Amino acid sequence: MKISGSYTLPVAPERAYQILQDPAVLAQAMPGCEGLEQIGPNEYRMKMNVILAALSGKFEGKVRIADAVPPTSFRLIVEGSGRIGFLKGDGLLKLSLANTNPSVSTVVSYEGDAHVGGTLAAVGQRLIDGTSKMMLKKFFDKLVSLAH
Amino acid sequence: MFAQKFEYTAPKTLDEALHLLANGAKPLAGGMSLIPMMKLRLAAPEHLVDLRALKDLNYIREAGGQLHIGATASHYDIESSALLRQKCPLLTETAAAIGDVQVRNLGTIGGSVAHADPAADYPAALQALEAKFVLRSEKSERTLSAADLFVDALTTALQPGEILSEVIVPIDDTRTGTSYLKMAQPASGFAIVGVAARVRQNAGKISFVRIGVTGLSNRAYRATAAEKALEGKTGSAADIQSAAALVARGVDANSDLHASADYRKHLAVVHAARALKTALSRIA
Repeated sequence: MKISGSYTLPVAPERAYQILQDPAVLAQAMPGCEGLEQIGPNEYRMKMNVILAALSGKFEGKVRIADAVPPTSFRLIVEGSGRIGFLKGDGLLKLSLANTNPSVSTVVSYEGDAHVGGTLAAVGQRLIDGTSKMMLKKFFDKLVSLAH
Repeated sequence: MFAQKFEYTAPKTLDEALHLLANGAKPLAGGMSLIPMMKLRLAAPEHLVDLRALKDLNYIREAGGQLHIGATASHYDIESSALLRQKCPLLTETAAAIGDVQVRNLGTIGGSVAHADPAADYPAALQALEAKFVLRSEKSERTLSAADLFVDALTTALQPGEILSEVIVPIDDTRTGTSYLKMAQPASGFAIVGVAARVRQNAGKISFVRIGVTGLSNRAYRATAAEKALEGKTGSAADIQSAAALVARGVDANSDLHASADYRKHLAVVHAARALKTALSRIA
């Protein structure tokens, strides 16, 4: 599944780049994240408990940052699996200055591929597109509130 | 597959149920979504509180010029209600379009609304009807509009410990016609797109339009731009066509293996035009 979109963060690109790679900020912003721990340079172990209405599932995985070009772009590679399925994602995030007047803001655009498999995908196929959009929206909304 | 072990309580009173829910239990109504998810182990609640035995949640009645529907009224209860057929035919038509006979016998309006599946049928009709929803918890009671209740995919404004206890819909006069039309996914019966239309005519002009759309995006919504475009018009084929063309504009449509986002938007336009035409033709 292709995913793409963009969000605006109310901070300068340098600050946006910094918070998008700050494990403490990411751990708070990712829906259901229960911990993000550094295991190597640009590599983190992640624990998530995704709760969506009645559905719930624990996932464990890795988040890796590659091709970092501060403060304009980086690649985010996510892999997670749990009893109800697995998730793989690889996306390029680009940051650009959107506005300086009246206040500075940055557009974060992303484009990539995501794969969802296991029971989750087998029975929930028709809900994957919608729920992944919702998760991304939650993530960026929370990021906006943490950005300052 | 078998569900994971869980505790089960079927309380006799609503207060007892609300007390258990306040302590972390999960409500079970018809079980048409929850039970399959538990069997697939996508959901593993530790404690289920069965609301079906509660007589004070299963009713359909008229009071204060409105229709009050208890949360555990089944789709079949609604589909076969003489009162609703006469005073809110949009709801009986919608209920009759849900899933199959087995689902309609067990599934409930409260369960469907609280689950907020983006492809469920009721939300389109309830948006078009501007329904009100009574939410109760052990300590509070509040009433929300459809616009405030449906938040996102599988997400409503319901808080933990809170249940939907009642759906309230208006009684329309005889100058109003309604229709619910959907493209059903053949296996599940879920709406790939579903459109509910509610129109009122006065002296040859359309005086009031409500259009609810489900299945297209993460939440059912009212197509307000299309409503405005049709108000004050005579309701000619051209009027309907140009209004229907606006139902999906600016909407972030979802894709799945049954229908791409663009195809869904196309279906929404086609079904809106047909639903509006049918609704107009039903005005007495």
